[in-house]
Amino acid sequence: MGGDAPASLRVRGAFFFVGSMKITGGSIFLAAAAFVAFASAPARQVTDQTGRRVNIPENPQRLISLAPSITEIVYALGLGDRLVGDTDYCDYPPEAKRKPHVGAMLNPSLEKIVALKPDLVLGTVEANRRATVDQLERLGLPLYGLTARNLDETLHSIEDVSSVLGRAEVSQKLVASLRARIDAVEKRVSGQKRPKVLFVVWDRPLITAGPQTFIADVIARAGGASISQDLRGDWPRLGLEEVLRREPDVILLPRTESFSSSLEDFRKLPGWRDLRAVREGRLYFVSETIMRPCPRLVDALEEVAAILHPVEKTGARGPA
Amino acid sequence: MIIAPTRRNVLLLLCALGAALALVGLGALSLGAVRLSWSEVGAALLGTSGNKETAMIVREIRLPRILLAVLVGAALSVAGTGLQALLRNPLADPYVLGISSGAALGAIVALYIGGRAGAASPAIAFLGAVATMTWVYLLGRRAGRLASYTLILAGVVTASFLSAIILFVLTLLSSRDVRGTAFWLMGDLSAVSDAQLRYLFPAVMLGIAGLYWFAKDLNVLLLGEEEAAHLGVNVPRVETAVYLLTSLLTGLAVSVSGAIGYLGLLVPHLGRMLVGNDHRTLLPTAALGGALVLVLSDTLARTVVAPAELPVGAVTALAGAPVFIYLLRRTTG
Repeated sequence: MGGDAPASLRVRGAFFFVGSMKITGGSIFLAAAAFVAFASAPARQVTDQTGRRVNIPENPQRLISLAPSITEIVYALGLGDRLVGDTDYCDYPPEAKRKPHVGAMLNPSLEKIVALKPDLVLGTVEANRRATVDQLERLGLPLYGLTARNLDETLHSIEDVSSVLGRAEVSQKLVASLRARIDAVEKRVSGQKRPKVLFVVWDRPLITAGPQTFIADVIARAGGASISQDLRGDWPRLGLEEVLRREPDVILLPRTESFSSSLEDFRKLPGWRDLRAVREGRLYFVSETIMRPCPRLVDALEEVAAILHPVEKTGARGPA
Repeated sequence: MIIAPTRRNVLLLLCALGAALALVGLGALSLGAVRLSWSEVGAALLGTSGNKETAMIVREIRLPRILLAVLVGAALSVAGTGLQALLRNPLADPYVLGISSGAALGAIVALYIGGRAGAASPAIAFLGAVATMTWVYLLGRRAGRLASYTLILAGVVTASFLSAIILFVLTLLSSRDVRGTAFWLMGDLSAVSDAQLRYLFPAVMLGIAGLYWFAKDLNVLLLGEEEAAHLGVNVPRVETAVYLLTSLLTGLAVSVSGAIGYLGLLVPHLGRMLVGNDHRTLLPTAALGGALVLVLSDTLARTVVAPAELPVGAVTALAGAPVFIYLLRRTTG
């Protein structure tokens, strides 16, 4: 079995190139054509965010995104037309839904990926499995791995994707404006009393976001204090009793299909209705982009900040 | 039994099973998330395909996965056959008896320790299988005799106890490893490397050949330990060997593909319906049959909801659990 077929193809390509170079005179054009043909062959070695050394083309043109956050980043950079495939869950922008899908994040179809002839696959530590990375490596498909656990790392991912795609300059404006918006929120909420926040990832059983997640970072920067800051793991379970003891001032839920029931239903649940935040009506849906380390994470930050620290209409603090 | 056990009939049956396996394998090669025609698959197999992607899909994605299903299917079915003879219990199966869970726990602990232990995961899975098997055997023994229901109950309880420990170890793993591992636990044949196939093939063949070596002894053992001893079988030696061999096969299968259940129950049962209780024919029938059933199950798993995939363990459990219930009712009489 040829686990090394792609490598042998590369070698053949190189021979073809050298061979064309030897021929002089009228074949210079041929050599040039060969050069153009191999311009997208592996041209540089980079270290991805997970520390893997990976050979990627100078200017990748056929991308497969293995996570909705990556798809959003690629589109936000204006490079959406380079995507040849994404996952079943890539739903933003709407155009992303029309790209060929390679399956779900945890078990994408390898053969579908191969058939789309990508010159670069983009994945994340948070969404994808190590086994997928190993399999793509075995098949000789370059995979650039990203990881983002907070807003700063999300901005870094955006810069990284744009430089990996050979268009480092396109991220500058985007990142600068996102950073300005983050700064504005932080400035507005600084010095204010921090309400205690419970973020509900899942309700039965109650699962919340751990301290090392971008959700926790968004809450902190929006001027809140997550009640799960001392818990272990990224998605810890939390007993309702413990929630009662920790007395959150505000409860946030992502607006996802899993929570199709209205806030009213939550208010009626036993245990929940005893929570002060529920009695006081401080139970809010926030955009599900809070679950995605992409440019829209900043939208979620502004949304959470507006919930935790409402802007008074006549206030002198200025717009968020 | 359906087939009269003459030498000619048995050979014919094994040839027919082999041919069916080859046919199903070819069918599986041509099915998948990407639609390929027979001629494209043929060209890719012969190495004459001009299309690099088609060749890669057939030779480097589908073929290794089918070969893995063949090896794992044969290993689990033969292990089940051996266990059923050893324990004189048609309900014995590496999954039902908790041996798969023991192997899975071993593999997960290896993953948790990481580094060199991670690379030695098949060996550690084997140790987990041997330890669990010994434990269940001791629990199931009452006054020197193996009690059928005690044994099954001991296995079921051990399996759920080990599952609890697995859940505990999972909470210690980083969330990234948890998702991958939970996936693998449900049975997953997609993540195979050439290196794995290279050691798996000889090891599984060795395990099957080893059990076949004891085929006659297994036949005698079915009469009971005392009777076997009277008939000149070195019972402790045969039992120890069959223990180690079935644990080896289970550990190998689980370390590469997770806990795929009920195969070791379903296939030997079908095999006995076909050829009866002579292990000289039952073991090779179970090996080929197990390979056939798992290739079929995995093809279903990867095509039904394509491009997404079902865990293959769910497919085998759907088919196997009803057989377990049927056997349970029949043996209760």
